[in-house]
Amino acid sequence: MTGRVRRWALAAGLAGTAALMVAAGTGLPRFGGDQHPYGARAVAASLRQQTANTISSVNFDQRALDTLGEESILFGSVLGTVVLLRQTRDEHRVRPRPERVPAALRRYGAGLLPVTLLIGLYIVAHGQLSPGGGFQGGVVIATALHLLYVGADYRALERIRPLGLFELVDGSGEAAYVLLGGAGLLAGSAYLANVLPHGTFNTMASGGTVPLLNAAVGLEVASAVVVLLAHFLDQAIEITDNRKAHR
Amino acid sequence: MVRLLPLIVAVPLLGAALLVALGRHVRRAVAETAGCACAAGSAALAVGALVLTHGTAVTWAGDWRPHHGAGVGIVLVGDRVGLGLAALTSLLVVAVLAYSWRYFEEPPRGHAGAFPALVLLFQAGMCGFALTGDLFDAFVFFELMGAVGYALTGYRVEEPRPVQGALTFGFLNSLGGYASLLGIGLLYARTGELGMAQTGRRLDAAGGPDALVTGAFVLLVTGLLVKAAAVPFHFWLPDAHTVAPTPVSMLLSGVMVELGVYGVARVHTTVFAGPGGIPAAHFRRTLLVLGVASALTGAVMCWQQRHLKRLLAFSTVAHTGLFLTGLALMSDGATAGVCLYVLGHAGTKAALFAVTGILLDRYGSVDEHQLHGRGRGAWRLGLLFALGGLALAGLPPFGTALGKALVEEQADWLPLLFVPVSAVTGGAVLRVAAGVFLGAGPVPEERPGRQETAGDEEKPETGGLLRWLPAPMITVAVLLLAGALAVGTIPGLAEGTATAAAAFGDHAGYLAAVLDAHHSTPAAEGEWWTGPGVALGLLSAALAVALAVPAVRRLLPSGGWTGPLRRLHSGHVGDYVAWTVAGIGLLSALTWW
Repeated sequence: MTGRVRRWALAAGLAGTAALMVAAGTGLPRFGGDQHPYGARAVAASLRQQTANTISSVNFDQRALDTLGEESILFGSVLGTVVLLRQTRDEHRVRPRPERVPAALRRYGAGLLPVTLLIGLYIVAHGQLSPGGGFQGGVVIATALHLLYVGADYRALERIRPLGLFELVDGSGEAAYVLLGGAGLLAGSAYLANVLPHGTFNTMASGGTVPLLNAAVGLEVASAVVVLLAHFLDQAIEITDNRKAHR
Repeated sequence: MVRLLPLIVAVPLLGAALLVALGRHVRRAVAETAGCACAAGSAALAVGALVLTHGTAVTWAGDWRPHHGAGVGIVLVGDRVGLGLAALTSLLVVAVLAYSWRYFEEPPRGHAGAFPALVLLFQAGMCGFALTGDLFDAFVFFELMGAVGYALTGYRVEEPRPVQGALTFGFLNSLGGYASLLGIGLLYARTGELGMAQTGRRLDAAGGPDALVTGAFVLLVTGLLVKAAAVPFHFWLPDAHTVAPTPVSMLLSGVMVELGVYGVARVHTTVFAGPGGIPAAHFRRTLLVLGVASALTGAVMCWQQRHLKRLLAFSTVAHTGLFLTGLALMSDGATAGVCLYVLGHAGTKAALFAVTGILLDRYGSVDEHQLHGRGRGAWRLGLLFALGGLALAGLPPFGTALGKALVEEQADWLPLLFVPVSAVTGGAVLRVAAGVFLGAGPVPEERPGRQETAGDEEKPETGGLLRWLPAPMITVAVLLLAGALAVGTIPGLAEGTATAAAAFGDHAGYLAAVLDAHHSTPAAEGEWWTGPGVALGLLSAALAVALAVPAVRRLLPSGGWTGPLRRLHSGHVGDYVAWTVAGIGLLSALTWW
């Protein structure tokens, strides 16, 4: 197809789509309203469930099945990346050399790593109370480990990053969510039902299964991001194709 | 039993999680057995639910039932059609895992279970999509099957073309996904609901449709039509199905594309079929235009291919067009016919891909010209392939033929589309069968200057060339074709499908079953073979043979007039994106005006 035809097809399509979007936009509720039917129901439901963070209540209780799907998308994407970035027959692995790191950078990494790790754990653990939860905290935890790559070198990161262990945790986090859902069935209710006592509002022990599901997602996300970055970093640092290795 | 519905999705997810967690410590045989067991467990649950429940099985995840019509939860709806598709998906996944037993040369190092785990995630996505009664939840499962589908398509990363095909697949399906999400957002802004039944009820209460409802409809179905590979959203399909590993092509063509068609029909009947939705005439016109265009484009392009997997991929586009045309009629009889057609097509197409995979692993090519006469010894394979071609053409008593006949009964002009399209797709397969397995006709000569996808560059997927026919592969192909035959010969199935279709098209009945727990089973008489139906089936099969014989002898013109159409399928992602956007414009015009 020539560029001209492509541009015409695209222009006609964009014009039609734009007209549709503008027309549809006129039917939207006015900007800045304070009423939303779903919002009102979701807040009421999260208060009944003693979950201070309504977002977490929606994600891990009222619409927990969506979150199972979303966690599985991340899980499947990471597994897909592992498969696509695998070391193929015509590729070769070279051990990275130790790197010299400026002392200031080293101090920065060493100082920030434990703090970041702690913040990540805090965000996962307080998902039922304050903004955050398993997805967000999991990413922070994975980031903390990679400060070692910044503050030291790739070999140091590899030492604290046994991939077998992280894959085990990745799969376990996903399995834990599926099994916690099954607990609802065993307790005589529905799949993913919040069958634990709901506890006292705005305390750590509140929200029933919400903190547990958050922990499962936190485990999965933290290790999935570590595994994901490991495969990208391996491709960038360790794996070369054979032609380059021979040269 | 009804409460166990979510397990159809959860069991494969758990299997995938365990395969990843323990993948480093188990042997390949153990991992593959575990994968098969999980897929089979889910299949047993789906078939069990289909047999043991009656009418529409409704269960709310987390037990979040609505009170006085208002709720916050997600509903899973196991109606006959949804459960049937979940069962079909799961059975096909079991067949695919059995087919790929010891299939790939070596799994990624330390990840013995990676392939079965990806297939299980794919199964979970497809089953979840078939069962959910919630728009956003459907989007989540749509994305799950997408993300895993891209990885499965690009599985053979050693070669550049699978990566390219997977990238195209990913680009276009993501674009479609964004459109769908925008559409869901518009509906949510209007109604404050995400459930299909709830949204439908609110729209009906609000009165007639306006621009927002039309816009939401167009955007929502765009994503589903990309998945269904309807013209002009179909460009990714031949590129992806051609390069995906054969077992993955079986799933993509056999059931994933059909789930896109199902999504269009499901979203329409539940959300947009009431007084507050899209006028029936507009919906019919939209689907008819796209369906007929897909059927014709697919058939013409299918005939032009010499790359066997690409030929089968275009025949899927053609048949998807026929399914869309059938659904556009919006009658219970036509829907029942389409259901049977989908079942028969899944078995037939998967069997044809399975035989093609065996050819690739035995002779190292899927190029019609290069394979010419090389399959002379393998008469069993040839018989299977030719039977598959006849089934595709609609030879009674295959399920494809029964489904086709039931749809054709609905209007006088329908045979004029269905007979030639199915005859051309079946004839193309028969042409290949005669050339490859009988060595009939002269050896095809290369046509210099003609740009086409050959198929001589494909690498066997089993490491080296096979010297014998592996029992699991051939058994799976035979069973799949037998399944397609069973669809057309078991009267109970046709009766069940008629009931399923009647409930599927009932907008008010669906809303009442989901929101008011009010179940009514519309009575439906199962249609069966009729004289004209059998005659039309025999006619298209005869036409397929009549096309294949002169084609093998090189008596037919080379089809130079199809050049412009072939050049549209350029493999350029930018072109495809332009056509997808143009398709949204076309849909807007068809639905609006």
